[in-house]
Amino acid sequence: MSNYDVIVIGAGINGLATASILSKAGKRTLVLESRDTVGGMASSMEFTPGYKCNVFNDTIKWIDPRIEKLLDLKSKGLELEQPEILRIALGENKEHIAFHKENSKTVDSIAKFSESDAKKWKDFSSYISKLSHFLEKLYGLTPPGLPNAGIKEILGMRSMFGPIRKHGTRGIVDLLRVAPMMMPELVDEWFETELLRTSVASSGIHHLSFGPFAAGTGYNLLHQHVHANGVFHNAQFVKGGTEKFAIALKDCAESYGAEIQTSKKVQSIDTDEHGCIGVTLENGEQIIAKQIVSGLDPNNTFINLVGPSNLTPDFKTQLNNIRYRGSTARIHFALKSLPKIDGISKDQMKTVFSISSSIEYLERASDAVKYGRLADNPYVEFVLPTLFNSDFAPSGEHVLSATVQYAPYHLRDTEWSDQLKDQLKTNVIDTLEKVIPSFRSIVKETSIISPLDMEREFGITEGNLNHGEMTLDQFMFMRPTISCSQYKTPINNLYLCGPGTHPGGGLHGTNGFNAAREILKG
Amino acid sequence: MFYENKFTANTQLKLSPFFERTSKLNESQEWRRWAGYLAATSYELTHENEYFAIRTKAALLDISPLKKYIIEGPDSQILLDRLVTRNIAICKVGQVMYTPWCDEHGKVIDDGTVQRLSENKFRITSAEPNLEWIESNSTGMDVIIKDDSFSTAALALQGPNSRAILNSASPKSLDNLKFFWMMDTTFENIPVTISRTGYTGDLGYEIWMDPNDALSVWDILIDKGKTFGITPTGLHALDIARIEAGLILLDVDYISTRHALIESRKSSPYELGLGWAVKLKKRNFIGKAPLLEELDNGSGWSFVGIEIEWPGFEKHYRDAGLAPGLPSTAWRTSTPLYNNNEQVGYATSGTWSPLLKRYIALAHIKSKYAKEGSELMFELKVEHFRRLTKATVVKTPFFDPERKRSCPK
Amino acid sequence: MSKIKKYDAIVIGGGHNGLTAAAYLGRAGKKVLVLERRHVLGGAAVTEEVFPGFKFSVCSYVVSLMKSNVMRELMLPKFGLELLPLESTLTPLENDYLIRTADSDQTYREIARHSKKDAENYMRFGPAMGQIGMAVRPILETIAPNPIRPSISDISATKKILDHVKSLTSKQFEYLTKLMTMSSADFLDEWFEYEPLKATMSASGIIGTFMGPRSPGSAYVMLHHYMGDIDGAFRAWGFQRGGTGAVSMAIARSAEHFGVDIMTEASVEKVIVKNGRAVGVALENGDEYNSNIVISGLDPKLTFLKMLDEPDLPSDFVSAIKNFRIRGSSGKVNLALDALPNFTCLPGDGHHLRGAISISPSYDHLEKAYDDAKYGNFSESPFMDIILPSVLDPDMAPPGKHVMSCFVQYAPYDLNGGWNDQKREAFGDAVINTIARYAPNIKDIILHRQVLTPADLESTFGLTEGNIFHGELTLQQLFSLRPAVKWADYTTPIKNYFQCGSGTHPGGGITGSPGEMAAKKILGTW
Repeated sequence: MSNYDVIVIGAGINGLATASILSKAGKRTLVLESRDTVGGMASSMEFTPGYKCNVFNDTIKWIDPRIEKLLDLKSKGLELEQPEILRIALGENKEHIAFHKENSKTVDSIAKFSESDAKKWKDFSSYISKLSHFLEKLYGLTPPGLPNAGIKEILGMRSMFGPIRKHGTRGIVDLLRVAPMMMPELVDEWFETELLRTSVASSGIHHLSFGPFAAGTGYNLLHQHVHANGVFHNAQFVKGGTEKFAIALKDCAESYGAEIQTSKKVQSIDTDEHGCIGVTLENGEQIIAKQIVSGLDPNNTFINLVGPSNLTPDFKTQLNNIRYRGSTARIHFALKSLPKIDGISKDQMKTVFSISSSIEYLERASDAVKYGRLADNPYVEFVLPTLFNSDFAPSGEHVLSATVQYAPYHLRDTEWSDQLKDQLKTNVIDTLEKVIPSFRSIVKETSIISPLDMEREFGITEGNLNHGEMTLDQFMFMRPTISCSQYKTPINNLYLCGPGTHPGGGLHGTNGFNAAREILKG
Repeated sequence: MFYENKFTANTQLKLSPFFERTSKLNESQEWRRWAGYLAATSYELTHENEYFAIRTKAALLDISPLKKYIIEGPDSQILLDRLVTRNIAICKVGQVMYTPWCDEHGKVIDDGTVQRLSENKFRITSAEPNLEWIESNSTGMDVIIKDDSFSTAALALQGPNSRAILNSASPKSLDNLKFFWMMDTTFENIPVTISRTGYTGDLGYEIWMDPNDALSVWDILIDKGKTFGITPTGLHALDIARIEAGLILLDVDYISTRHALIESRKSSPYELGLGWAVKLKKRNFIGKAPLLEELDNGSGWSFVGIEIEWPGFEKHYRDAGLAPGLPSTAWRTSTPLYNNNEQVGYATSGTWSPLLKRYIALAHIKSKYAKEGSELMFELKVEHFRRLTKATVVKTPFFDPERKRSCPK
Repeated sequence: MSKIKKYDAIVIGGGHNGLTAAAYLGRAGKKVLVLERRHVLGGAAVTEEVFPGFKFSVCSYVVSLMKSNVMRELMLPKFGLELLPLESTLTPLENDYLIRTADSDQTYREIARHSKKDAENYMRFGPAMGQIGMAVRPILETIAPNPIRPSISDISATKKILDHVKSLTSKQFEYLTKLMTMSSADFLDEWFEYEPLKATMSASGIIGTFMGPRSPGSAYVMLHHYMGDIDGAFRAWGFQRGGTGAVSMAIARSAEHFGVDIMTEASVEKVIVKNGRAVGVALENGDEYNSNIVISGLDPKLTFLKMLDEPDLPSDFVSAIKNFRIRGSSGKVNLALDALPNFTCLPGDGHHLRGAISISPSYDHLEKAYDDAKYGNFSESPFMDIILPSVLDPDMAPPGKHVMSCFVQYAPYDLNGGWNDQKREAFGDAVINTIARYAPNIKDIILHRQVLTPADLESTFGLTEGNIFHGELTLQQLFSLRPAVKWADYTTPIKNYFQCGSGTHPGGGITGSPGEMAAKKILGTW
């Protein structure tokens, strides 16, 4: 038995980022990962012999610039690629809008539908960037302990003055106005083309259990655009697959002396009267450390590993009230050939596609969550990762990875089964065939990951990829609960660093960075 | 002179399994609400005879409105030890423990008794509903929690003759049943459980039974008790007895932290004089950390007995041209207590003790002024005008007869 | 014709907020004229004898949120304010019911019949909400500061609010944050498990709002309605004797007592603006009245886009007002009955008819009703909040007969294909059919029925889109943003033109609050 300064549970992006920073600062750090590979939600895998996919995320919206700078990930082999076309929104009747890296091309694409919308696009895009700029600063902070924040905490928020100086208090007011909005309210103020409206709205519902008519989707839209230079400027592909991001972080951590052990499942976080003392693994091994950092979600960390009887009743109630409600499924298709998308040329396909004809289409899909069933006509976003990584499939063949909303974790009168997954597959293929005629005929193999699979295989409570819904009541000082929003927890020496903390989900490592900062404060 | 009982009013309140009997006996037709039940305040037109039954004969009280929960299963003791402040691990089968329980801030939620029915089965009684609290703290434990409130009826038989009555009804003798222990027996083949517990500070028992047997048990006890002076007794008499015994009452002497809207309404066990029931050596229980801290730093408030001194009291009335005006029943209005014109506390319930011939009360006092023998001024209203009269902090229980704990030799 | 040529102030709209503002100004010695378009006063708080002998609180039907200081300062009880308590809330179910009454023992036992946990939590929920209400009240009673170019008083108001927030406990702050942002269903799920209880409680989160109980934001609307239960008198939901119009009449009499002139059937066409200042109003009949200031009790769209000409206003303000969400979502069905409705779950007469009857058996019922409206239809099986005013106040109907007031959701203003007579009747039928599921005799006892769609509410009462709150109570339309940033302190971009309707802070309901606060703001700067 050897002693460590810190044990990090979970080798996802945030766990690895925390481990890198802590070991760089001289802490003896051990990372324990239950799966046989690192990466967590940044994993890539061979889903069927010869075909690889990015399990959850094909793109990275942003990487915390502080991490890139501090850890110099480029030198560890991290290469990002932002495609020329950031996104193509597919509508009805072979219509589409292409959002380009170059704004003027986006404007041209929109102009085919509406001159007025085209004129407003740049303004809208910079308006959203401006508001996201406020979030950026906020995201770098540790949330203050409200309602009674100390002077020190208030001073700690002074980086917020930058954007205020730049945009005036008006910017804050706009942020406060847009964040609680529902998508139709936001787009009503700007656009008339339904395809444009729904493609903006689809960004607001990303990985949410709500539809576009839900207040607060404004905030989710802004969250998707932090560190982006405009609307949809948030699609970056990792060379070699998303897992390369995790591997770069792993190499980095190891280079600073961190130890990373895979296939080591933590069974409990051990506590005594004074706090946390170590962990016990599933194989019975006990490891002692001065500090434990959990990259798992709050439910796994506290309820499953610390155990309910070691939590105070109030804290336990708060934990039980965190809403997860995963409603997103992933489907990976192994394809015989490159699919032909209506109205899209072959050189336009290195992008993210979304299929939605109207905001109502999205809302109807979301109704399924309320009634605990699958969306008959789901919202589908897809990518062909083989266009970025030719080694993901045998030559000439391809992979299509789709993100599907809504496929709720909580079902009524039924449960997740192979049959239901088949139903989901059929619904998704039907949807894809609206834009890729006879898609069925090129499918060789399919791999479906339901929210329940995410929970069972990746340990994500209720299959929520954000470790807790990205809603305003679970934002900042409320994330994951009001009593542990500063990465510290009510249990001494136990810290959180996962997406369940401020500022929430995504493969950006901000949570890990902020957590490491708090841990090093001591 | 009796008028035939013709009361047939409908009520929206709950009726105890004994109502069939108690309603016919209630000559005053005075009722009070107790946890949503209709409960007799006194059966006779005055409560004095009932009070003296408690102290000199045997009083029979319907205590069915008490909340009762059964906790059963391999983890039942672990759950209770997590919930309450006393050490349940050392509670033997057949033993009963009085205990408060706290929230995580060490403030009292409720108080009641824990009966160990078997190795893995307990009954806990409480004044208020506590099911939600117990259940929410049982996550991950192998226990079954059942609300026993309606499935068990209960009577209290209190007073010096109570043992003799039970001995004449039960084939098993109660002579060896010790204070805060319990036993199973039968009355005319009806199974009952008897615990040597009560809310009067006297020799007394509580009898637990199936509600379907309630009326038969009542009849047997009345019948066997006739020669021992058994007296159906209401809440007025009980209130005097429990103050004499120094026993606290939820919502009168303290407010449950679950309902207290502000911090100052909450009390820790130390602040309620229940420090003896807090076992800090026990492994983690809810509220332990703040209670440890409170023990180290001292409590701001104490809960004490006070005696309102007679000469000053009498003088105020004499000055008004009146004989001393004693309260006829126990009172429950908060009454200020002063030290040098500064309010340092408040009495929450008080009574004239007909047995002790002393005017006594229970009070929250700032710890600084709560030492035994401390002198305070008690606010009194004499003929509509406020007066201050001397009161002294004294030891509780005010009345503590040896028979309460002893067994016959 | 009015007696004098020039007034200190003219109030457009004789609704309860306009009358309140007028009364306060009159009380301060100002000469005030109130101009009401209709023949009756009260706006949406109006009583009318729709059918001979049957009187209805046509629109707004209960009083809960009326501020107690307004009642006192305007001496409303002296002028006829008499609030009768609504004693209970009944949720009829197909084979059972849930009733909550003023008595806590009874309510505990009734809820415990369905869920013991809920019964225990219910006893804690009310007081917890009371604490939150207390925490919110000082914010509601503050004139919303301007965050864009704050004046000294804006800064001191902001500081006061921040200090107040700092004084909250962590738990209060947590609940408050949740109530501001969550859906009422999610919020209630944290407390309760019995669906009819949760659904009925969540219903106050959707009343007057185009949201379902599962829509984030609805918890705030629930809190808004919970304000009625505080201010000392718990269960302050009440029914005004003589109908809600009598509240307006009491305020009107109070105003007249303070020297205010009130004219009905005086429809204002435009506010007269000279050199960027409001100087009076022009009526549709051509009459003109001059005044130092003009106050509008109308909703923001009418206040600015109808009463003024767009070019007189800054363009960003015009777009803010155009972007102000109003969205009518409710209708009203008023029934004249030959006898009392007989509920299958609780047959015959009884206490339960003296309170509110809520058709809200489950979240799904409410959500499905919302789904219909979301996609442009009225609810096939709507949510309803029903009261029987004649049981509380026999004068509302001829002897032995009754009136029934059904507040119905959802009826979208933007109905697919638009509202017409046929659709109005179909909507009325949907309402009756839904009631008949719980009280089958309803169809046999209806003597007359009045169906009001959001389109009717708009055309009759001047409520844009038929929205009873003059604008959605969503987070981005509250406080300093209601109705638009910079202009949430009852002033407007036009000098001497003020606003005092429900479209201003703190929002809708028969509160008197916007009227009172607007008057106080005006008097403070006069």
